[in-house]
Amino acid sequence: MASSGSGYDLSSSTFSPDGRIFQIEYASKAVENAGTALGLRCRDGIVLAVEKPLQHKMLVSKTTGRRIHTVDEHAGVAITGFVSDGRQIVGRARDEASNYFETYGTKIPAEVLANRISAYVHYFTLHGALRPFGATTLVAAYDPATKEHSLHMVEPSGVSYEYYGCAAGRGRQPARTEMEKLSINPKHQQGGGGDMELIDVQEGVKQLAKIVYTLYDASKDKPFELEMSWLCEATEWKHVGVPREFISAATEWAKKEIEEAEEEDDDDEEMEE
Amino acid sequence: MFRNMYDTDVTVWSPEGRLLQVEYAMESVKQGSACIALRSDTHSVIGALKRSVSELSSHQQKILEIDDHLGIGIAGLTADARTLAKWMRNECLNHKYVYGTALPSGRLVNDLADRHQRTTQTYVRRPYGVGLLVASFDKNGPHVYQTCPSGNVYECYASAIGARSQSGRTYLEKHYESFPGCDRDELIMHALKALVGCVSGDGELTSENGSVAVVGKNEKFTLIEGEALQPYLDRLELESGNNGGENVEEEQGGDAMET
Amino acid sequence: MSLSLQAGGSATRALPSAAGTTHTTSPITTGTSVLAVKYRSGVLLAADTLVSYGSMAKFKNARRLLPINSRTLIGGSGEYSDLQSVSDLLKRNALEDKCTADSLYEEENNEECAKEVWSYLRAVMYNRRSKMNPLWNDIVVAGFKQNDDGTTSDEPFLGVVDKIGTAYEDDVLATGFGGYIALPLMREKYRPDMEEGEARALLEDCLRILFYRDCRALNRVQIAKVTREGKVLVSEPYELDTFWDFKGFVDTKAGLGTDGGW
Repeated sequence: MASSGSGYDLSSSTFSPDGRIFQIEYASKAVENAGTALGLRCRDGIVLAVEKPLQHKMLVSKTTGRRIHTVDEHAGVAITGFVSDGRQIVGRARDEASNYFETYGTKIPAEVLANRISAYVHYFTLHGALRPFGATTLVAAYDPATKEHSLHMVEPSGVSYEYYGCAAGRGRQPARTEMEKLSINPKHQQGGGGDMELIDVQEGVKQLAKIVYTLYDASKDKPFELEMSWLCEATEWKHVGVPREFISAATEWAKKEIEEAEEEDDDDEEMEE
Repeated sequence: MFRNMYDTDVTVWSPEGRLLQVEYAMESVKQGSACIALRSDTHSVIGALKRSVSELSSHQQKILEIDDHLGIGIAGLTADARTLAKWMRNECLNHKYVYGTALPSGRLVNDLADRHQRTTQTYVRRPYGVGLLVASFDKNGPHVYQTCPSGNVYECYASAIGARSQSGRTYLEKHYESFPGCDRDELIMHALKALVGCVSGDGELTSENGSVAVVGKNEKFTLIEGEALQPYLDRLELESGNNGGENVEEEQGGDAMET
Repeated sequence: MSLSLQAGGSATRALPSAAGTTHTTSPITTGTSVLAVKYRSGVLLAADTLVSYGSMAKFKNARRLLPINSRTLIGGSGEYSDLQSVSDLLKRNALEDKCTADSLYEEENNEECAKEVWSYLRAVMYNRRSKMNPLWNDIVVAGFKQNDDGTTSDEPFLGVVDKIGTAYEDDVLATGFGGYIALPLMREKYRPDMEEGEARALLEDCLRILFYRDCRALNRVQIAKVTREGKVLVSEPYELDTFWDFKGFVDTKAGLGTDGGW
């Protein structure tokens, strides 16, 4: 690596001669090796999903190392990367939400929450005595005032964008490719149905489960727990876990879909031969 | 010449996205003597091997009581552990004063992990060089948690940390599915059996160097050491004298193959 | 910091401190009594909706019975702004509790129980009064006790915390003027196996009597309950029927030939 050994990559307060801050890029590397986190904005709500690798079989998979957290009644975040770094961001996000409500008497709007989180994360990229966070944060929130729901992603650099669908962690590239095939972007819809053509959260849960299992290789990867949450009309726009039986149903469906697709591939190959 | 220029500060990421100082701190946990913990549906148990620096010295305390419902077993820098124990005791006491009830262990352990994490992100403090096994019984039942210098925390059915803890872990992995139904004494026996494997080659598990603690339904956190531990050791000898001995041997063999 | 206690200074007056800072030690906008009673399947609370500014009946639709979480209810008398800030504080804590719970699934977590809320309030009130900066409220906390395993017990809980941090539990409670006027009546009528209707009638009778006798009370009231099924319900404000045809009420001189004072 060209950056290594140059001496310009030892502090986030140092620019390299070509204007890069390597420490931030290295921190992003930490996220790139971690379990995949996915967020999907659907017609009637948002779904978050995280692949939580289990280090060994004696862990209590339900409670250990949670990666999806509730920040406020109507806001939840999914984190990936260094989970302990992520928890720090979650704590700050809760404080921001609480302070906003105390000051203004209304719930924090999604965009403000995402901006406050990104300001916090960004601060850690400015000082030599700190290090950037090794975690990416997916923010799902509903604003009771405007009745809008939205999804944001904050990266270790402090940059934040709003998304229809986003992914972080190891499987982010193929996950993004898969998500682009889903009807989640109203601008890309053909008919005049507008939002009604977009998928709903029920479908979103199934599709995210499918993406996670498509990326998973049982022979190479560690066993994992699929953590999922949503916030939608059906939950009165509260951020809660997707019911476990629903997750397992979605998982079964996903596995079957993947199997069928593989069989079809095999058939195709045979025909070609 | 430095082996690595990214490994002297906690605030520096390596090009691979690792924090070497934190990883080194994790190593110090492996320097400490072994500590294991496990739980059933009603009890949590910690077991530990105590070290002494010489024939003339006492053994180092390995299990610390935090509150009536919670205690820790430690591996790594004992002085760091005592700082953390002091903080944990304070948290428990504060909660009891303010709410009149015992502090839920999940919350304590999460706050503890956040404390660990903060030392890994600022230049001024080094990470804690100690791993903890937290055993507790609260309103959600018995718990065992494992904390790391990195700020990671895991809830486990059973776990082992410290020097030579791998064979203890292997024992636990082999048997943990039978733990839920165990009563208090059976659980303590499992703890001792796991601990026996962690004793160094020529050593022996005795009432001097062994240390066990139990907490559970209708039982406050209790340390079992010295004479109180002897009956359990006798029972251990009895059981291994019959057929248990072979088991232990077998497990150690299994361990060697796995690692 | 040394306190100079001037001769004749009353404990309820602001004590001048060496640093020259003074705190509010007397209330301005106040709510009057809160009444509470345990009954067969839970706890009932009652209060009127008046907030007075001194002796002026200033706000006539102010709610003083407030749900804190899904199984805890508080009722407060005294300085209304302090009550609002206490309620905000408790609700913020309840939300934080929810967010930091072990599980993403609400049904797997245990909310703070009434006794914990009551104990917490005690700590807050005692701490504030020890700093000579009290929150000027007497607050009743109602809910259910908790079993060792965190599930809600069948036993109702009723406690009160006052402005100096005294915490007390009982089957019947009343704050403010109700402590003098209503409490003896409630103690006389109370039975542990009272039906909801009976308990409700008792509270309404007491509120009516308080309206007659307490110059800072109103006949516009609310009743709230916590039930065994784990529900917290607060009624909308409604008005109590009153009867003003007593001779003493009609003829202000009461036939005594005085100046009209009772």
